Amino acid sequence: MSFEVLKPGIQATLQAAPRRQMRHFGVPASGPADPLSMALANKLVGNAVDECALECPLGMVSLKARTDCSIAITGAQVAAHIGNRGVGMHRTLVVMAGETITIGAPEAGARVYLAVAGGFAGDEFLGSRSTCLPAGFGGLAGRALKTGDIISTNTIPIAPSALETPDRMQQEFQHSYALRCVPGPDADKIAGWEAHQDFVATRRADRTGIEISGSWPKPDQAAMKASSPVFPGAVQLTPAGAAFVLLPDAQTTGGYPHILQVARVDRHLLGQIRPGERIHFLLRSPDDAARELREKLEFFWDWLPDLML
Amino acid sequence: MKDFQIFLIGDDAVAVQPSDRIVRHPLARSLRSSGEWVDVVPGKEIVAAQFNPASLSPKDAVRRMEAWLEGFHADSDQEGEVVDLHLDTSSPNALDLEHLAASNELSPAAFLEKVTQSDLVVDMLGFTPGFAYVEGLDPVLKAERLAVPRQRVAAGSVGLLQGQLGLYGLSGPGGWPIIGRLTNRLFDLHRERPFLLTEGTRVRLNLMGR
Repeated sequence: MSFEVLKPGIQATLQAAPRRQMRHFGVPASGPADPLSMALANKLVGNAVDECALECPLGMVSLKARTDCSIAITGAQVAAHIGNRGVGMHRTLVVMAGETITIGAPEAGARVYLAVAGGFAGDEFLGSRSTCLPAGFGGLAGRALKTGDIISTNTIPIAPSALETPDRMQQEFQHSYALRCVPGPDADKIAGWEAHQDFVATRRADRTGIEISGSWPKPDQAAMKASSPVFPGAVQLTPAGAAFVLLPDAQTTGGYPHILQVARVDRHLLGQIRPGERIHFLLRSPDDAARELREKLEFFWDWLPDLML
Repeated sequence: MKDFQIFLIGDDAVAVQPSDRIVRHPLARSLRSSGEWVDVVPGKEIVAAQFNPASLSPKDAVRRMEAWLEGFHADSDQEGEVVDLHLDTSSPNALDLEHLAASNELSPAAFLEKVTQSDLVVDMLGFTPGFAYVEGLDPVLKAERLAVPRQRVAAGSVGLLQGQLGLYGLSGPGGWPIIGRLTNRLFDLHRERPFLLTEGTRVRLNLMGR
């Protein structure tokens, strides 16, 4: 079972569970930039939440189904078609052999997720099928989709039942984001700085991170430190006076001052921020952020019992 | 606990800074084999252990680490294996060699001799897949990061900062001045062992065709 890629979009990749226990080789976790949206897509086609699915930054992907199958589309709000029929997001959709799935350009949010019953058959490497673009492994030959690619799927063609994401669990993305975060290890080295102001995502954005402009303090040379472990969600100041927030394909160690850490409760939202959108940081204590994460998970566990963020 | 400082580096990772940085590697190995942490990553001064804050609160993660360290004893590091690497210092591959040698008031040949005669050991991998931080470089050699990082340095490039080398496993952005390029592949996903080097590997640098 397979799909033919008619339009590849922009850096669309296969993503699955994060790669674990490999960061000390310099290998990032990869995995979906918005794991909640990917989990919701997988649920609708009867898959495990971290089954291999297609992540489409800024949409604009078109696939031709070569067999009958069930799919679902979630994530950034987008118009989608099967053949000429407009189809909704957040529901199980049946596609017949020969039909074309067309995903448009999102109105809000950055990444659209497309899941297929049984999951896509990506290359497994170092314990995960997630594509690692910087190193070129996992997923579809370690790279983004290209026109003419054939992407195979695993063996279950039709989802066992037709589902719809409960309304209250459908994320609606706006053009500004309030992100809960905790202080980073270097927060106290930067004097006279307030997180309580608006920042803006710039065009320098990919699966390794997003540059955030605003009135950041400019770190002096003394604030540079010996290379230290960093994880997705880390906000690091650059010598140029901007900041970078790290995404799943980011470097595993870094020497720039690490002043904030976007907490897991809101880290999935980083995958939906578009250039020009506003970001507001809400400071929490680590224990409060962890409690809010559990509250969010408990809310979603009714529908996605195996969700982790 | 005077031998270790423990602090959070976010809502899902706790750092341990041993007073003796040599302890980082046995500590990281031991934490990894305990199976209690999602990921264990050494840096130049600390070891970070990632946890899932949905099942372990940050406060409890710190307590767990404190309790675990009470029973931790660093085993002595075994001597690492020796790997021969071949360094091509022809000019397109050694973008900053002439300049670095001149600023150290050495000829390129004399500069390289100090590099190859250093007792080089891989301290850790990190940054990008297969990137190796190598320590033991003769400290008389001085170099600073480039003011503007290069958008792309070739896989195998050897960067140099004071006291250390950085071996680039992949092509990608890089801020270290470059003195040459290895003909060995540091990372090859088709090899049974994709990574040629690991922490503790002793590196012998052999100059090619100069």
